[in-house]
Amino acid sequence: MNLTRRAVIDKALKSSVLCLGFSVGGVTLMLTPEQARAQQVVLRTLKPDQVKLLEALAEGLVPGSVKLGVTHFIDHQVSADPGDCLLIAKYLQAPVPYADFYAAGLKVAEGMAQRATGKSLTSLDAAALEGVIKEMSKPDAVVDGYPIFLFYLCLRSDAVDVVYGTPEGFEKLNVPYMQHILPPEKWDA
Amino acid sequence: MPKTLEAVDVVIVGAGAAGSVFAATLAEAGKSVVVLERGRDHKLTDLYSSQIWARRLKWAAPLVLEEGPDSVWPNFNSGTGVGGAAIHHYAVWPRYHPEDFREFSLYGRSLDWPFEYSELRPYYDEVQKDVGMAGDASKEPWRPPGAPYELPPVLVTKHGQVIARGFEALKMRTAPLPMAVLTAPYKGRLPCIWDGWCDAGCPIGSLANPLVVYLPRATQAGARIVANAAVTRVLTDSTGKKATGVEYHTPDGESVVQPASVVVLCAFTIENARLMLNSGGSRHPNGLGNKNGLVGRYLMSHPAVSVSGLFNEEMQNAIGATGGQLLCQDPYDKKSDPSGAFGSRQWEIGLALKPNDLLGIAMTRPDIFGKSLHDFMLDGARHMGSMVGVCEDEPLYTNRVDLSKTTKDKYGMPVASIKYQISPEGRKLWATAAAEGVKIFKAAGAREAWHGPPGGQHIMGGTVMGNDPAKSVLNSVAQSHEVKNLFVGGPSVFPTSSCINSTFTAHAMSLKSAKYIASNWGAVKA
Repeated sequence: MNLTRRAVIDKALKSSVLCLGFSVGGVTLMLTPEQARAQQVVLRTLKPDQVKLLEALAEGLVPGSVKLGVTHFIDHQVSADPGDCLLIAKYLQAPVPYADFYAAGLKVAEGMAQRATGKSLTSLDAAALEGVIKEMSKPDAVVDGYPIFLFYLCLRSDAVDVVYGTPEGFEKLNVPYMQHILPPEKWDA
Repeated sequence: MPKTLEAVDVVIVGAGAAGSVFAATLAEAGKSVVVLERGRDHKLTDLYSSQIWARRLKWAAPLVLEEGPDSVWPNFNSGTGVGGAAIHHYAVWPRYHPEDFREFSLYGRSLDWPFEYSELRPYYDEVQKDVGMAGDASKEPWRPPGAPYELPPVLVTKHGQVIARGFEALKMRTAPLPMAVLTAPYKGRLPCIWDGWCDAGCPIGSLANPLVVYLPRATQAGARIVANAAVTRVLTDSTGKKATGVEYHTPDGESVVQPASVVVLCAFTIENARLMLNSGGSRHPNGLGNKNGLVGRYLMSHPAVSVSGLFNEEMQNAIGATGGQLLCQDPYDKKSDPSGAFGSRQWEIGLALKPNDLLGIAMTRPDIFGKSLHDFMLDGARHMGSMVGVCEDEPLYTNRVDLSKTTKDKYGMPVASIKYQISPEGRKLWATAAAEGVKIFKAAGAREAWHGPPGGQHIMGGTVMGNDPAKSVLNSVAQSHEVKNLFVGGPSVFPTSSCINSTFTAHAMSLKSAKYIASNWGAVKA
């Protein structure tokens, strides 16, 4: 593999765009969500059953988002103060605390899957998962009093952020990133 | 017991667009000035090129409760920290038109401003010279009288050129978008390199934001900017007729009193009303300066429609300014909408696109997911065109900011509770714009064109100006009718919204008020 110095620097710069402070063994490491996932960093807020649901949905929404760490991105951000949150939930006026909003969304989505197919979201085949997501994506859809369309928009956007919102993501689309300043390596959430 | 600081001449609440103009003008006039900003300090080096990180610049606390059927999108439209919303604004700076100031007199609708365009014009001209604006006045047939732009127009790429074709086919005119973005070096600032990161803040300072224009002037003249200072009340003397300063809280919970001869609220639309409502007392049982119950009333937001389309051409849509490249104000006439609705409309054409975020490529088609999303993203990155239609919102008495009766922030101050509904006229204008936008794109050759749902751009009103103290909160220099040493800055003072982006007018109006204070200091502080 022939890596030039420039390529190494570019890689380092790009990977810092979504570097967040993840706690590993009592030490805060600056990692991308993808790195945090690869290193199995312990999640702060999401429970294992919620992770399974979230990853099933996120991968159905934006393929590749799970490997790129959408779970660690969301977990990190819903654990932060809403004022500092980097999720689009902030712009879309999702109710706070965001951790509760996501927990409720996952529960409602699972209920939709169970009602429609008799199975959990985590065991649906691609076509059945698509059917459930389509229901969630109906504008202004509300299920059991919960704004499931808003949750759909938020989760889809989170997955888009990790897949397309970084320099690597821009590159996938052949869009020039043209940064002035990339985010710093150190940031306290 | 709060700690009491040494008195200053002027305390300004909020370090955004309006606060920075007041601070520079009054400090340069020799006044001792302190600016208290609720959010964190910001420096140009904090403005990272990332739509994800840009979300740190926007407001989410204190919480705003929205109880009406529509949203004014407080988190997206507001800012937090030094620089305020102007740090991430798009710098689209057309002027209000003369008729916007006299809607009640001319049409028997809406409200009148307490002065005419001609009275604000010199302040528009002066602000324009301060910031350096790009445009071509000769190509804007709609432009009110004003000084020529300092700089040549902003970049027009294939994106703007292709969409302009559609306007031309429908016999509509376009002109370079007037922007507070440098197209050549100006007063030590560098020109734009057209990278489309305006929304994330412009660290090279070509887009006029408070960090590069008025705040440096303010601090150079001796003004002090204090971040992380959450003002909760304006204090008054025993008569209730004079403000004596403000109370604020530090992050560690300390309560501090900053005495001042003059108080200026520049905390943006929602917070200006919230602060006045929370500053009541025995002399002001309904809130400060609110005998007539109008503080918080006439809240407005521009109904806006995003129009997107896919073209066969390579659109170069990643390049340019986020606010756009071209302007069309042909539908400005308030009586010409085909639906019969009253009000103005304008088009901002060719907004630079990023893949993600609220205005990004992915969000234009929220119904697409799964494997087909990537194909759509690839297509959009090369071929998508984008423009935004902005419509007037009429000031409705029922649209208001109030104090929540149930929820308080961490300092014990009731959070803002908002009841807002897009005005019926605004909704009709929006519907016209949505249909017209798709038609324009098809006329430009789009193979597909569509529009998004109603959105809300800018937040205005709530502490409106007027000549009649019974029908307004502030007079023609944005001075409280009831408390003569209390002034307000920002779009909250606007009695009408027009369809014009609010930041330029907020600057001009703040300059008018600040100059009044400086020239009438003895009377104002007495």
